[in-house]
Amino acid sequence: MTSTQQTQRLDTVGSRPRRYSPSSDLRLALLFIVPAVVLVAILMYYPMGRAFQESLYTTPKTSWLSVDPSQVYVGLEHYTNLVNDDVFKQVLGNSLKWTVTVVLFQNLIGLAAAVLLDQKLPGRGIMRALVLLPWVLPGVVNAILWRFMYDPQLGLINSLLIGAGITADKTPWLAQPSTALWALIVAAIWKGFPFSTVMYLAALQGVDHEQLEAAHIDGANGAQRFRHITIPAISGIIRLNLLLTTIWTFNYFDLIWVTTRGGPLKSTHIFPTIIYNTGFGEFGNFGKAAAYGVIAVLVLLVFAVLYLRELRRSEVL
Amino acid sequence: MATMAIYRRRRRMLHHGILIALQLLLVIIVMLPFLWMFSVSIKPANEPFSIPPRLWPENPTLDNYESALYPEFGRYFLNSVIVSVLTMILSISVGLLAAYGFGRFNFPGLRALLIAIILAQMFPIATMIIPLYKIMNSLGLINTYAALVLAYLTLTLPVSIWMLRGFIRNIPPDLEEAAMVDGCTRLQAFWRLVVPLARPGIAATAVWIAVVTWQEFLFALAFTTTRDMRTISVGMSDFQGQFGIRYGELMASSVMVSVPIIVLFFFLQRYFVAGLTAGATKG
Amino acid sequence: MKKLLVLVLAAALVLPVFSLSAIAQEVVTIEFWDNQQSESGLSQYQQAAVEEFEAANPNIKVNVVTVPYTEYQDRLVIAVRGGTPPDVSTVDQIWNYGFATGGAIIPLDDYIAQSEILSQDTFFPGAWDSAAFDGQVWGIPFNIDVWQFTFYNADLLEAAGVDPESLTTWEGLKAAGEALTNVGEGQYGVGLFGHLGEDTVVVMNSFVYSNGGSVLNEDGSCALDQPEAMEALEYLVSLLPYAPEGAANAGSGDMRELFLNGSLAMEWWPALEQPTLLGSDLNWDFVVGTAPEGKTPVGTLGGWNLVIYEQSQHQDEAWQFIEFLTSKDINGKVVDLIPANIEAAEAFLAEERVGPDRILDHLNNARPRPLSPEYLQVSTIEQEMMQALFTGTSVEDAVANACEQINALLEE
Repeated sequence: MTSTQQTQRLDTVGSRPRRYSPSSDLRLALLFIVPAVVLVAILMYYPMGRAFQESLYTTPKTSWLSVDPSQVYVGLEHYTNLVNDDVFKQVLGNSLKWTVTVVLFQNLIGLAAAVLLDQKLPGRGIMRALVLLPWVLPGVVNAILWRFMYDPQLGLINSLLIGAGITADKTPWLAQPSTALWALIVAAIWKGFPFSTVMYLAALQGVDHEQLEAAHIDGANGAQRFRHITIPAISGIIRLNLLLTTIWTFNYFDLIWVTTRGGPLKSTHIFPTIIYNTGFGEFGNFGKAAAYGVIAVLVLLVFAVLYLRELRRSEVL
Repeated sequence: MATMAIYRRRRRMLHHGILIALQLLLVIIVMLPFLWMFSVSIKPANEPFSIPPRLWPENPTLDNYESALYPEFGRYFLNSVIVSVLTMILSISVGLLAAYGFGRFNFPGLRALLIAIILAQMFPIATMIIPLYKIMNSLGLINTYAALVLAYLTLTLPVSIWMLRGFIRNIPPDLEEAAMVDGCTRLQAFWRLVVPLARPGIAATAVWIAVVTWQEFLFALAFTTTRDMRTISVGMSDFQGQFGIRYGELMASSVMVSVPIIVLFFFLQRYFVAGLTAGATKG
Repeated sequence: MKKLLVLVLAAALVLPVFSLSAIAQEVVTIEFWDNQQSESGLSQYQQAAVEEFEAANPNIKVNVVTVPYTEYQDRLVIAVRGGTPPDVSTVDQIWNYGFATGGAIIPLDDYIAQSEILSQDTFFPGAWDSAAFDGQVWGIPFNIDVWQFTFYNADLLEAAGVDPESLTTWEGLKAAGEALTNVGEGQYGVGLFGHLGEDTVVVMNSFVYSNGGSVLNEDGSCALDQPEAMEALEYLVSLLPYAPEGAANAGSGDMRELFLNGSLAMEWWPALEQPTLLGSDLNWDFVVGTAPEGKTPVGTLGGWNLVIYEQSQHQDEAWQFIEFLTSKDINGKVVDLIPANIEAAEAFLAEERVGPDRILDHLNNARPRPLSPEYLQVSTIEQEMMQALFTGTSVEDAVANACEQINALLEE
C-alpha cells in the first residue's frame, strides 16, 4: 500500500469516499457477476429454500425413509413446538455462550498475538509460521487431538495442571456438564485465533508509521497510541473479522461432534450438532431439523445485520 | 546524558526480554498439542499409554507411519489435492469476475446482491445436505470430483468474492480507463490489467481455499461413495471403529495429512499476509 | 452435417450394447454396503468372498462399498433419502425396525419361503428375532455378539487376592472393584462408561436384564421405573467410586487404553475385544456376565442384519448374495463379530476365540434390545439417563425423567 493511498484513505474517514467512476453499463456488470450469482442461488439459496419448505411439513413415520415421502403440511407447528421446548432453549443458550466467548477471545488473543508478532524481534518469521499452525490443522484431527488432551487419566492437560499444582484431582473436563462447554471453547479458541492473527497482522502493516512516530514525539505512550491510532486504522478489519468468525463459530460442527456429540446432558449441543442429530441420528425428524436450521439462520442474521451496519459505516461494504 | 542512555538501553532490553518471553509462551501453547500428536504417532502400538503421559515414548518407532501408509492413503491424498486445486480454480475464476463486477460497477441492488452472497455463508451445512444431495444426484454427479467441487464452492465462493473485491478496489481504475481509451474492451482490460495486478490477492485467496477444502469432512462423506473417490479427511476415519480408535496410526496419518498443508502455508504465508494487506486494509 | 454426426455417434454408442446382450446374458451389477470396522483387516476377506460369488454367478457383479462406522448410519440415511440406496447392505439390528417402517427396505418372507439354503433355524434365535416384527421378516442376520463379558487383568486380581469367579455376582464384582481401586495411584477397579454411544446402552441393559428387568413393556411404555431396573441402575451407580474419573463422556474404547496399560482391572466388552487383547502382553481372561446372587447373567445382543432396499432394481440378485454371505462356509470368513449362522459360528468360535463354549452359552442366554421403530430415540434417552446418573442425579429423578420422555414418544 502506497503512502498516497494511505493518506487518501485516512482523509476520507467519516465522509463518503470518492467512488471510482463506476461504469454505467448494466449488461456488462451482469456479465461479470452472473456466474457467481447463479452458483450461489442454485447451490445455497435453493437448498436453504427447500429446507425452509421442509420445515413446514412433517413426514409420517411410515414413509420417512422413502424417496418421495408422503409429507403432511403442518404450517409453523415445528417452530411453535421448538419455542416451547426446553432443549431448544438450552441449545440457544449454549450457542450464544459458545459464539460470543469464542469470537471475543479468538479476536482478543488474535489481536494481541498479532501485535506481538509485529514487533521487530529475532526469529520473527519462524514464530509467525509456527503460531499459525492450529488454523491449518484439519478440523477432525484437531477434535480427536483435543478429546485425547482432555482425557482425565491419559491426557496432557490434567497431568500439566496436576504437575503445576493447579488442581489436585483428575478433572474429567468433558464429562461434567459444568465444564464441558468451556473446555471445548478453549479448544476452539486455540484452533481459531491464528486466523484472526493473520488478518490483524495484515491490517497492522497498513497502519501509518509516521503518524505513530508523531504521536510518540508528542508524548503519547504505547497504550494511547494503540488506542487512538492503531485501533481506528484497523477498525474495518476488526469488524470484518468479527463478522466472519461469528458466522464460522456459530456453525462449528466437527469439534463438538467428535468430542462429546453434544453431551453430557446436552450441555455442549449447539445449533449445528442438534440439527445433525435430529435429522440423521433419530431417523428422519427432518421437519424439526429443518426448523432448527431456519431458526439458526435467523439468529445469525441478527448478528450479521449489526455487523453489516458497522461495516457500511466504516466503508468496507 | 550517558546514564540516561544506559537507562534507556536497559529499559529497552527489559522490554525486549518480556516480549520474547511472551512470544515463547505463545509458541509453546500453540506447539504443545502438536508435539503430543507427534509423540503418540511414534509410540509402538503395544506400548501402553503411560500415566502420567509422557512427551516421548520409550521405544520410538515409525511403524505407525508404515501401516498408516496403506495403499488407499495415497489415493485419498491424491483426491484431496485434485478437489482442492479444482475448487481453487473455479472459485477464483468465478470469484474474480464477480469481485470485479461488484468492485467496479455501481447500480442500485448490486450491493444488496453482494450482501446476499456474503450472508449465504450462514446456512448450516447439515440443513442443506439432503437438498444438495438431490441436486447432485439429478445431475448424475454423486461420487465424482464435480460434486465435491460444487459443494465446496458453497464454502469458498462468498469469501473469495469478498476477499478479491477488496484487492480489486485497491487497483486504480485509471489504468483500465486509459486502456479502454486505447481501444481495449472492458473484458480485455480486465484480463490484461486487473488480473495480473490482483495476483497477490489471488494467491492469498488460493491459500485460504486450500486450507478450507483440505479439512472439509461432511460434504466429502455425503457426496462420495466408493473408497477410490474418498478424500483424506474422510479416509482418516479408517482408524476409528465402532468401539475405539487406533491412536498411533491415526496420529501418524494426522501428521502426514497436516504436513503438506503446513508446508504449503509456510511457503505461501508471505503472499497470504501480503495479499490480505493489500485487500483488507481498505477501509 | 451436424445431424448426421449425431446419428453416427448414437449408433456407435447403441450398437455394441445390442450386440453384446444378444451374445451373453445381461450382467447385473449390485451394490453392497457395509460398515468398516477398523479393528480387523476384514475387507480383503470380503473381497475374496465377493470374487468367489462372482465366479459362481457369472451374471452378477458386486460393488462393495465400505463406509466408516461412525458415519455409516448417516450415510445410509442420506443415500436412501437422496434416492440412491444400495441394493443390499448391512444394518445394525437396532436400525432394522426403523428402516422397515420408514419404507426403505422390503420384507423377505417370500424369498425365505422359497430358499433352499437358509431358514429361521439356520440362525441364532436372538439374531433372527431382531429382524422379525409386524408379522414379517425384514432382514437376514449377518453377525452377532453379546455384551458383555467381564474381562479382567489376571495379574492384578491375583495380587489383590480376588477370585475371578466372584466377579459373576453383583456383590463379588463390587467387592473386587473396591479391592482393586487405589485412586491416588491411578488404579481403578471397573471401567464404567456413559458417553453418547450404543455401548453405554448395552451394558446398562444387561445389568437390568440380569436382575429380571426390562427397558420397555410389551406396549412400548417405559419399564425402567420397575424395581428390578431401578435396582440395577442403583447398583451401577454404586460402582462409580471404583471407576476412572469422567465416566459420563468415556466410551469402551477409552477404557481399552486404561485396561491395556494396567491401570484398569476389569472391563466389559463383547467377544470382539479378544483379538485386541490377544495382541497385547497382558495376562487376561474373562467371566460371563454379572448377576445378583442366585440369578443367571443375561447379556444384551448386538449385531448386524442384511437387508434389501425398496428402490433396488435387482432384488433377486441381492437375495442370492445374502444367501451366499450367510451360508455355512462363507459367513465365518466375512464377519468380525460372531457369524449369525449357527454352524458357521461354532467353527468360527473354535478357531478364533478363547473360551468358545462360554461365549456360546452367554449368547444363547442373551436378550435383544427393545424392538421399536423409535428405538434410536429410546436409546438416546437411555444414554442421557446414564449421563445424568454418572454426574450425580439420583436414580429416582433420572428414571422419572427418562420414562416421561419414552412414554411421550408412544403418544406421538
